[in-house]
Amino acid sequence: MGFLGDPIKFIGDWLKSLIAPLNLPPVWETFLSTLTSVIAVASFGLLIVIFLIWVERKVAARFQDRLGPNRAGKYGLLQTFADMVKLITKEDTTPETADKVVFNIAPVLSVVSVLLIWAVVPFAPTWFGTDINVGVLYIAAVGSFGILSILMAGWSSNNKYALLGAFRAVAQLISYEVPMLIMLMVPVLLASSMGMVDIVARQDMWFIVVAPLAAVVFLISAIAEVGRTPFDLLEAESEIVAGFHTEYSGMKFGMFFAAEFLHIFTVGVLFAILFMGGWRGPGAEQFPLLGMVYLMAKSTVGYFIAIWMRSTLPRIRIDHMLAFNWKFLVPLSLAILIVTAILHKLFAATTLYIPAMLVGNLVIFLASLGALRAVAQRQRKQRKPFKKRPVAKAA
Amino acid sequence: MTEQAAAPERELTALEQRFPGVVTLDERKGYEGHIVQADKLIEFATALRDEMGYDYLSSITAVDYLTDDEEAESFFELVYHMYKSTGGAALVFKIQIPRDNPVVDSLVELYPGADFQEREAWDLMGIKFEGHPDLRRILMWDGFEGFPLRKDWKEPYYEEDAKPFGNRWPGGQVYRIEDKNPYGKNNQYPDGFDPSTWKESEDPKLYEVLEKAAMEYSEDIDTEQVVVNLGPQHPSTHGVFRMAVRLDGETIVALKPVMGYLHRNHEQIGERNTFIMNMPFTDRLDYLSSMSNNFGYALAVEKLMGDKATPPERAEYLRVIMAELTRISNHLWAIGFLLNDLGAFFTPALYAIEERELILDIFEAVTGSRMMCNYFRFGGVARDLPEGTEQKIKDLVLERLPRKIDELDLYLTENELIRSRCEGVGVITPEDAIAYSAAGPVLRASGVPYDIRKADPYSIYDEFKFDVAARYHGDVYDRYLIRVDEMRQSLRILQQALKKLPKGEILNGKNPYQVRVPAGEAYGRVEGPKGELGFYVVSNGKPNPWRYHVRAPSFINLTILEKMCVGQKVADVVVNLGSIDIVLGEVDR
Amino acid sequence: MLLDYLPIAVLVAVSTILAVVVVALGGILGPRRKDKRKSEPYESGMRPIGPGTRKMPVRFYLIAVLFILFDIEVVFFLPWAVVFRQLGLFGLIEMFVFILILLVGYVYAWKTGALEWE
Repeated sequence: MGFLGDPIKFIGDWLKSLIAPLNLPPVWETFLSTLTSVIAVASFGLLIVIFLIWVERKVAARFQDRLGPNRAGKYGLLQTFADMVKLITKEDTTPETADKVVFNIAPVLSVVSVLLIWAVVPFAPTWFGTDINVGVLYIAAVGSFGILSILMAGWSSNNKYALLGAFRAVAQLISYEVPMLIMLMVPVLLASSMGMVDIVARQDMWFIVVAPLAAVVFLISAIAEVGRTPFDLLEAESEIVAGFHTEYSGMKFGMFFAAEFLHIFTVGVLFAILFMGGWRGPGAEQFPLLGMVYLMAKSTVGYFIAIWMRSTLPRIRIDHMLAFNWKFLVPLSLAILIVTAILHKLFAATTLYIPAMLVGNLVIFLASLGALRAVAQRQRKQRKPFKKRPVAKAA
Repeated sequence: MTEQAAAPERELTALEQRFPGVVTLDERKGYEGHIVQADKLIEFATALRDEMGYDYLSSITAVDYLTDDEEAESFFELVYHMYKSTGGAALVFKIQIPRDNPVVDSLVELYPGADFQEREAWDLMGIKFEGHPDLRRILMWDGFEGFPLRKDWKEPYYEEDAKPFGNRWPGGQVYRIEDKNPYGKNNQYPDGFDPSTWKESEDPKLYEVLEKAAMEYSEDIDTEQVVVNLGPQHPSTHGVFRMAVRLDGETIVALKPVMGYLHRNHEQIGERNTFIMNMPFTDRLDYLSSMSNNFGYALAVEKLMGDKATPPERAEYLRVIMAELTRISNHLWAIGFLLNDLGAFFTPALYAIEERELILDIFEAVTGSRMMCNYFRFGGVARDLPEGTEQKIKDLVLERLPRKIDELDLYLTENELIRSRCEGVGVITPEDAIAYSAAGPVLRASGVPYDIRKADPYSIYDEFKFDVAARYHGDVYDRYLIRVDEMRQSLRILQQALKKLPKGEILNGKNPYQVRVPAGEAYGRVEGPKGELGFYVVSNGKPNPWRYHVRAPSFINLTILEKMCVGQKVADVVVNLGSIDIVLGEVDR
Repeated sequence: MLLDYLPIAVLVAVSTILAVVVVALGGILGPRRKDKRKSEPYESGMRPIGPGTRKMPVRFYLIAVLFILFDIEVVFFLPWAVVFRQLGLFGLIEMFVFILILLVGYVYAWKTGALEWE
């Protein structure tokens, strides 16, 4: 098949042929091959951030009826490099009263926590970091490191603003973990396995067709997990200047920035894997490169939706956000899980499977919309107008 | 004190009959209103408000009548302009107090809107107001010594009393006194002050006042309360504006605005300028809507100049067209930045600003400048519309703007997030709005349909058919909706004005370099986009004004900020501030 | 089995080293001009009042506790979801009972106002 057919295997074999003459024990060989593949995944993750920031700026600019960066390089492609260079050469100001160790660890931890998710992402039938059979649980666990880094950043800055921002950020992030985790159960349920490779392998029919509402709730909670508008209180410029990363400058801020963008894209990738069939597509089994292309294409759908929401929606206040989560999303996600479980049990192998699931989802959707509308109407009625006065006229 | 000339008996006015001995008509030439005895001020004001229905205190001005004349006494005069919230002309009355010990009763108990204006009179003129709960400096910093607006106060690089300054063109060459006055030497210190041993103070009075206000809100002071400063360097305070906030958890228990970071002593510079030189100077007040500022000033001085400054009809129509275009452009900006404060990441702001750019293009075509237009003159306008501009304005007003405003309305008004963030937030009752002297959209969104264009019409506004936009909930959402309503009403006025625009002269007489303004006083007010913008001008026959005071709507609208925000969450402070729509050029002057 | 986790361990090491190198690079390449004003904590241009660290308000703690409850519930969902197919009707009903018991607690929390922000 050659290089184009399966580039990774090709390069892997070539590297193996390089170290074969050294006659190392097999443990070393595994270690070295793991090391190279891990370095590849980590570099891919960090490098794609550069491209992602460019995409975000261009697309958001188009929403706002303007062009976006177009001076640095053709179409502004080198803009992110310029920004990175600028951030690296900025002064690293640390407040005097800050806790230096924690202050410096926080940005590193936030990047590491996102990169760790990429270890279990299956890019193609044979390309994946590792196939642990608890992939979904691993993702949930590792995603929580990022929350820890936010709290570390806010606390160590010794700044009232940053601390308030960090508390609210953590409250938001842990709240939205709950519906996200419950919705992660739906693909696990439908695929009967927690491993990511298995989930993709079982998606002969994409899970988004079978459980669309679960996909939507997952996307919403995941966007809230990352901290994007409309849930971007974490860095609300209008409120507490820059939230938990007020005191960071230079490349440490750059790390938070990069981690956030990478996290959104990771959410897009997870959405594609769990609900949109991952690398599946025509010809993906024979040409793994095609599989990766499909995966990237599908994940840009989720990423685009996130940029779209960011450019068009205003911010939610924290109490509305938490009420939305605890009073609406959590019971909704439990309801979706139960209904999906029941319908899956009843109709699993029959021809009525997809229509039944769709009908179930539709019923839940309409019921929740009705409930929301009733609550909103009740709130609107409480807003009473003042007495009307006559228009002031010249006497 | 004014001298009661032994003139033939005249009939007593209604007010003099009502308050015999207390109130006398102001008989100086060119002046209007009545003079009230200083010690009867509270009685008089109470009777005005409760019995005669004058519940809206619009403006308090302090004037320094310093004379070198041995015959005449020097005194301070406080000029009050009162209106009825049901419409009508002003009731003007003055208090005259001796210059060496200026003390007056404070009106804050009766009219809470007098708060900031009395502090300004104390700050800039040194008039003490007894009974004012918080008489601190407002525009200057706390340790400042001296009262900058007094006639005998000279700034460090004082040149002369009136422009043009002789030393700027010696031998035809221009130089500035600052060139001869190097940096560091152009300071003026009070006696006994040593700059090398001075320590910066953290403004303790402000925090004391804050604590007192917090105690009024809730009796037991929780030691967990946090004092936070929002501003001056903050991305969403619409300029260099600072709010010291005392928080109990997420709730605000006290809020004190601190302004003066952009104070330029506009009023004293205005006294130095000649009348016509002040026209471009007024552009810099509310720098987003320069035409309205020009309009107000032109109205005030034209009142002084009398009939020879009546603008011809075409000029009046052009003035109205420019003023209404300014109103639309200002509201577009206000809505855009309100949405920005709500977190919408500039997208609605950029859509709104795109339309504003087209309006600014028209301004540039007509006046030569986008923002600092300097278009109005006493007796008309400066330039006529160039070729093709009328058609451009027609295209904009009749076709594009209604479409775009409807589009903005469609995107924003029914948005669930905006509704939940804005409804019920920052409610102002109509009684509060009138008592706190709120003006403009803030007043009308609280259910008081008071629009100067209908309540006390100026220029040719009584010839146009339009509705006064009013909303009856008084929250941020209504203040957003009312701006959309007002834009639509402005479009109505513009359509009528463009249809009726006559041909003819644009200026009454020639365009003079210096104008001779007879002695007297005048208060000209317009319904600016942010509220009532008033100019109080006193002339004593010289080429430059004796007193030039700006009644700035943004400044006085901020009086109600504290009441609006206390009890709400800190996340709403910025939204409340954005809904009042302030511009620091006006607030600080 | 344990060898499956080796790539993760290596990834932790590699990504930490990468991140630390980038941050350190930023620290090295940037200028170092310490100034008294720059080292003060930022509060919109004014000097901050009061200590920079405060006690955590109670409502954050409430949210953390709620999160823990639901997180444990989700942890129990996980193995159930994996073996769902083999469990049959019995497994389904048992999980519903479990959810129901938790929902009772949830409704209680709602009614007592634990889900409000203030």
